[in-house]
Amino acid sequence: MRVPVSWLRDYVAMDMSLTELATKLSIASAEIEGIETRGVADEGGNLGLFRIGKVREAIKHPNADRLQLTKVDLGEAEPRSIVCGAWNFGVGATVAVALPGATIPARPGLPDGLTLERRKVRGEISDGMILAEDEIGLGADHEGIMVFPEIEPGTLLADVVPLSDKVLLVEATGNRPDLQSIYGIAREIAAIYDLDLAEAPGLIPVGTPGGPVKIQVGDFERCSRYVGTIVQGVTVGHSPLIMKARLLGAGMRPISNVVDITNYVMLTLGSPLHAFDLATLNGGGINVRRASDGEKLTTLDGVERVLTADDLVIADDARAVALAGIMGGAETEVSADTHTILLEAANFESHGVFRSSERHRLRSEASGRFEKGVDPQLADQAARWATELIVEFAGGTWTSWNDVHAGLPARPFVEFRPERADAVIGVKTTPDEQFRILGKLGFEQEGTGVIVPSWRARDVTREIDIVEEIARFRLEEVPFTLPQRREMFGVLTREQKLRRRLEDALVGLGFAETYTPSLRPDDETTWKLPEPISVDLTALRTTILPSLVEAVARNIDAGAKNIALFEVARVYLPGDGDLPTERVRVAGIVEGGFSRAKGVVETVYAALKAEPAFARGEHRLLHPGKAATTGAGIVGELHPRELDGEWGAFELDLDDLFAASREPITYTDVITYPAVRQDIAVVVGEGVAAGDIVATARTAAGAELREIRVFDVYRGEQLGAGKKSVAFSVAYQADDRTLNDEDATRLRDAIINALATEFGAELRA
Amino acid sequence: MTDTPDWNAYEAEAAAAAQAAASSDDLEEARVRFLGRKSDIALGLREVRDRETGMLLNGVRTRLEETFDTRAARLADDELDRRLRDEIVDVTLPGDELPLGHLHPITQIRRMVEDAFLGLGYEVRDDREVETVEYNFDKLAFLPTHSARSPRDTFFFDPNHVLRTETSPSQIHIMEEKEPPLYMVSIGRVYRRDAITATRYPIFHQFEGLAVDRGLTLADLKGTLLHVMRALYGPERKVRFRTHYFPFTEPSIEPDVSCGICLGSGCRTCKYSGWIEMGGAGMVDPTVLANVGLDPEEWSGFAFGCGLERTAQLRHDIPDIRALWEGDLRVLRQF
Repeated sequence: MRVPVSWLRDYVAMDMSLTELATKLSIASAEIEGIETRGVADEGGNLGLFRIGKVREAIKHPNADRLQLTKVDLGEAEPRSIVCGAWNFGVGATVAVALPGATIPARPGLPDGLTLERRKVRGEISDGMILAEDEIGLGADHEGIMVFPEIEPGTLLADVVPLSDKVLLVEATGNRPDLQSIYGIAREIAAIYDLDLAEAPGLIPVGTPGGPVKIQVGDFERCSRYVGTIVQGVTVGHSPLIMKARLLGAGMRPISNVVDITNYVMLTLGSPLHAFDLATLNGGGINVRRASDGEKLTTLDGVERVLTADDLVIADDARAVALAGIMGGAETEVSADTHTILLEAANFESHGVFRSSERHRLRSEASGRFEKGVDPQLADQAARWATELIVEFAGGTWTSWNDVHAGLPARPFVEFRPERADAVIGVKTTPDEQFRILGKLGFEQEGTGVIVPSWRARDVTREIDIVEEIARFRLEEVPFTLPQRREMFGVLTREQKLRRRLEDALVGLGFAETYTPSLRPDDETTWKLPEPISVDLTALRTTILPSLVEAVARNIDAGAKNIALFEVARVYLPGDGDLPTERVRVAGIVEGGFSRAKGVVETVYAALKAEPAFARGEHRLLHPGKAATTGAGIVGELHPRELDGEWGAFELDLDDLFAASREPITYTDVITYPAVRQDIAVVVGEGVAAGDIVATARTAAGAELREIRVFDVYRGEQLGAGKKSVAFSVAYQADDRTLNDEDATRLRDAIINALATEFGAELRA
Repeated sequence: MTDTPDWNAYEAEAAAAAQAAASSDDLEEARVRFLGRKSDIALGLREVRDRETGMLLNGVRTRLEETFDTRAARLADDELDRRLRDEIVDVTLPGDELPLGHLHPITQIRRMVEDAFLGLGYEVRDDREVETVEYNFDKLAFLPTHSARSPRDTFFFDPNHVLRTETSPSQIHIMEEKEPPLYMVSIGRVYRRDAITATRYPIFHQFEGLAVDRGLTLADLKGTLLHVMRALYGPERKVRFRTHYFPFTEPSIEPDVSCGICLGSGCRTCKYSGWIEMGGAGMVDPTVLANVGLDPEEWSGFAFGCGLERTAQLRHDIPDIRALWEGDLRVLRQF
């Protein structure tokens, strides 16, 4: 909310600096996101350059049909010559003048403001500028310049109109509807600084008229209170300048005296109001009811809304005339011809307003307040004060009043122990001080607790809520302590440690870690957002590689060399229940082909003390002949349609990887009885996989075969067509003795015999 | 052989020749002449018939061998020195290009956060990202009208399932799984329906801390956050609290950390306040404790959450959050 400081001063006398006030409010009440200047900047003597002037001469500009050439008396020795484009004044008019050197504020069409100079306009000297209200932030009107009643020429304009103001940008939290009002913020300031708070307007009833207002409320759940007043014989016109200036400062556009007053009272007290043109209401009364499905209403913004039975509307005898608590209807709005108004100050249930506002994608100053919950006690007060202001500024006679409700809620009583506040906050505050703070905020001490003011009744219902009221005034005094611990949990789990090791291993292999969005344009998944914010972020991914392919492609385009990217992230797979199965995976892409990727995967497994189990595999992103499963995922060469060149890729499931890890390691004595190493080469058919040779060798040789690794595959004429030689190195070792040549021969024969039986392998000479 | 050579003179001549040799080749030539198979002393030794002469000649030969060895070592050193002097490289040329990878800045921040909390005796966890409305909102005591429940703010798959909007459901999960005392930090991806800008991305990371124990206070929260902020931003930083509102904490606060750019005097980064917003925090609301079956009179707790991207942006002065999501090696290789 934008809060003009002059408006606050109506209710609390402030002499602290605004910067300090902003800090205190930010800590105790609501964040102050900034302090802006409304109107004319009050710096460098600028305000002194805005003066009242009296027009002594006014003739048509000799060289321009649309301009007037005037002489304006500013209380100086000589009147000044000023060229002006407006024609709504003449000799004798009292006007506002900005002198050369004055800076006028930015406005639509003049984004940087303007510093005036004495200059010639079409050959005639113009020694100042006669001002329209929009030029100095006093209104939206640019139909003509401002004309004042008789005032001494030379008088400071700032003494006549609210020329300059500061505006606090207050960001109140959702639990504080009371801070959606000037008066509510004044109340906080009075509490923080222990200042007096002026009585709120509208509380003292002035003679309520006896005339009736036809109000029928058909749904007290959704509309707990409806106050209606009728004022006859109003003259719709301009609001006073100060009201316009404040509304502009608060970010609302002045419209007409009646509408401005409803907004002014809403901003002051926090209770939204709406004025209907009574003549447009069929039957001359109000019916608060649910809409019927398909019923139509054109709201003030000109949009035709198709309503549902969950929408609450204000209706007359024939139709809906307002979307309750959100926006009035276009057909019943107050216009220049309006003579009789029906003023509404009501309470609409917050969730219903929220649902309708959501459904119609329509938020307004009113709906924002109702969603947070408006104090039902305010409706009466707001209606009275707005009515008084309408009679004062738009004339007319207050003829009728009605207040329909099904009983107003009592102010809640909450048990409260001051020592509980100390226990939660961790700093001592005397009970007297606690009740002083609470008192300034409108809480009344009674017995073993407090009575909550109506404007906080929604938010403050429990002792802890009272504690918070104390806490927010003590935040700067809260010390820095640490919990007294009886038990500690500060260790990473095995999986968390292994994840770090995995990440570090890939970094050691030259990979750069990247993060890509978990949402993709499309994926073969049921987990798709029905309303995504963009087509690119629609479906929860079931694989990470496509995102990495895109990242690699961008890097190729950017001219990067030695590209190697990895990501550790989740995939979202169909689950058994009504949630997806979320699995954490590591995926990577690296320059080089299949063997590069496989080398990376083997090293990752080795780093994790795990053994991969490679088998032929397939994946839609991988080369059909160069893809393998590992036991925890896939590795292969990227399909050439994905990226130009040879790229290795892998995607592995972390839980599966870590399950295979032999961490923590058990020590093996490899020193006392050294290993015997041999190289063996066998000739087999082309179709025999190296992995199968290794597996068969392991089975045949048993536990004494400690290492086996294929180091060469050879094809040549002397081997014959369809044959290949596979060479591998082996290491034999026993735990209890040093193996001798006979042992080595025995093991070697066992391997060769098994390979011969299994694959028809022959020992290569 | 007619004359008996003057072996003293021979030794002196040989030693002089060794000293005079300017290179290993010269020295070798002299060695062959004075100690080789056909040298006088070799021949002399071959013809020795008496013990005395034998000892004399052996003595001469041994001394000369030492002299030549010493000279040879000296010449070898000199020659090595000369050769190495010629082998000067341009030390300003680059070395071999070895692969070096990079952890993403978010991972680096994640580890810093984990380490800070491990030091405080917290366990580290992460929970599911697709959440039920029950865990994302209801059990965290979000009011039915809270704006986060709107599909305008939150990604809904259907009326009951959302992408979690904060890591706070972890609070419920751990409280349902274990008995207090609980001290945990949950770190992971969260999702909000924000348009992509320099400061907002619909997917981001949060860390969420929760402590549930007997007698915890707002002061304990303040001390904990001071430790964590100093771990993340440096020992000079200060922390202050501002009142705020969150459905699942009461009292709720927002912690600010003093601005590291202006050190509190006010600058563009801190919007001239001297302070930077760090996230949300507060004492666990009694309703949340009751929702998981804990007695709020016996147990109290505090909780807090902060964004990792924001932390990374502040730590590394990254103006545009999108840089963290594009996988651009020009960005990643800086970290």
